[in-house]
Amino acid sequence: MAVRINVNGEERSFDGDVVTPLLDVLRNSFFLTGAKDVCREGFCGACMVHVDGVPVISCLTPVGLVDAKSVLTIEGLGDESDLVPLQRALEEGDAVQCGMCFPGIVMSLTNLLAQQPLAARDEIKRGLCGNVCRCTGYERIVDAALTLARNERRANV
Amino acid sequence: MQDQQRTGLHKPETVAEALAALSDLGGGGTVMAGATWIMRAPFRQEPMKPAYVSLAQIPELHRIEFTQAHVRIGSAVTHARLVRELQAIPELRGLVSAAGDSANPAVRQAATVGGNLCTADFAAADLVPALLCQDAEVEILTTEGRQLLSLDAFLGLRERLERAYLLVSVLVPRRPLASAHARLPLRKAGDYPVAIVSVAVECRPDGNMRGAAIAVGSVDAVARRWRGLERAVAGLPLDALRIHQLALDLADEFVGRDGPEVPGWYRVKVLPTLVRRAFATLQQH
Repeated sequence: MAVRINVNGEERSFDGDVVTPLLDVLRNSFFLTGAKDVCREGFCGACMVHVDGVPVISCLTPVGLVDAKSVLTIEGLGDESDLVPLQRALEEGDAVQCGMCFPGIVMSLTNLLAQQPLAARDEIKRGLCGNVCRCTGYERIVDAALTLARNERRANV
Repeated sequence: MQDQQRTGLHKPETVAEALAALSDLGGGGTVMAGATWIMRAPFRQEPMKPAYVSLAQIPELHRIEFTQAHVRIGSAVTHARLVRELQAIPELRGLVSAAGDSANPAVRQAATVGGNLCTADFAAADLVPALLCQDAEVEILTTEGRQLLSLDAFLGLRERLERAYLLVSVLVPRRPLASAHARLPLRKAGDYPVAIVSVAVECRPDGNMRGAAIAVGSVDAVARRWRGLERAVAGLPLDALRIHQLALDLADEFVGRDGPEVPGWYRVKVLPTLVRRAFATLQQH
């Protein structure tokens, strides 16, 4: 029986083995290569996507457990002509480096800021502890997220 | 090109259906909860099973229930939900800390209580010592029916239990305790902890400890209570520095398991410091 998944608003199906990592299905079958194939052990966060609104590590998620669920990947978040505010803040803060860890970081931060729009620096750092950046550009990434949180605070005043 | 292998994935909706599926599969299948351990089988040079029984669609296993006597935690409850739903219960601060600091945020969204307790090869499971020092019991379903076991007994038995068994829930007694959890990963998050200490203490009106439960994880192959230290601290004031000295004196009760991240002696060496940190956290509360 094929696995049916809604990916970025589009109904897709996968007819392979149910224990295939969701990451491999996204990249190899649906050609969505934003989620990166790095550690495959759940340590680095480069393959982060949202399943039914929850950030999950797609390398450790068997596709069979995602049947009939909604998956949001970095491709579904915003594009070059229509960036979401977080992407804009990261670009304006010159936080983007090699791009390997970045899609995962954006997916983690998207959920974190949705849950905690007024997040403080420590909360943002804690929320990013499962995303490893080998360029070590963490501070500018955190600064960009803080800018959004500050804007949110101002909007609430 | 798709993988030609076809793994079976059963999706029962009741525990009885899950048990029946496990019985039918015999050694050819096992339970799949959060799958975070199963999906790393290739890294451990372990073969995947021909079939799995998913617990995702069994409502009973996802419930957390509160009674006067217990908190009953379904085995498919994730670490992230434990944090969300138990953080207001003062006596379970240690368990909440164990769940909230383990692995990383996304793994905590998937990894389950049952997975932590049933994975015999995972020595560094945070929830095991945190539940051991709460004197937790586990509810097991086998073809013989349901039975309650102390977590301590379950850890000794789990590899010998018949293949078709299901961990249904964990029962945590409600008592006037203070609890804390201390762990040492090699970096701040993501790693398996080198050593883990969980403590739960009941204090007398004079401020001295009536009794202390102290559990150690990741040092030996299976987490266990540190009975020698528990006896030594009973009746003493809650004084982290004094208890640290006792832990230094008694640490040779442990040998320490060698692992790729650290040698066994290192785990034993850091143990007294983690004991001090856990008791210092209790003093702060």
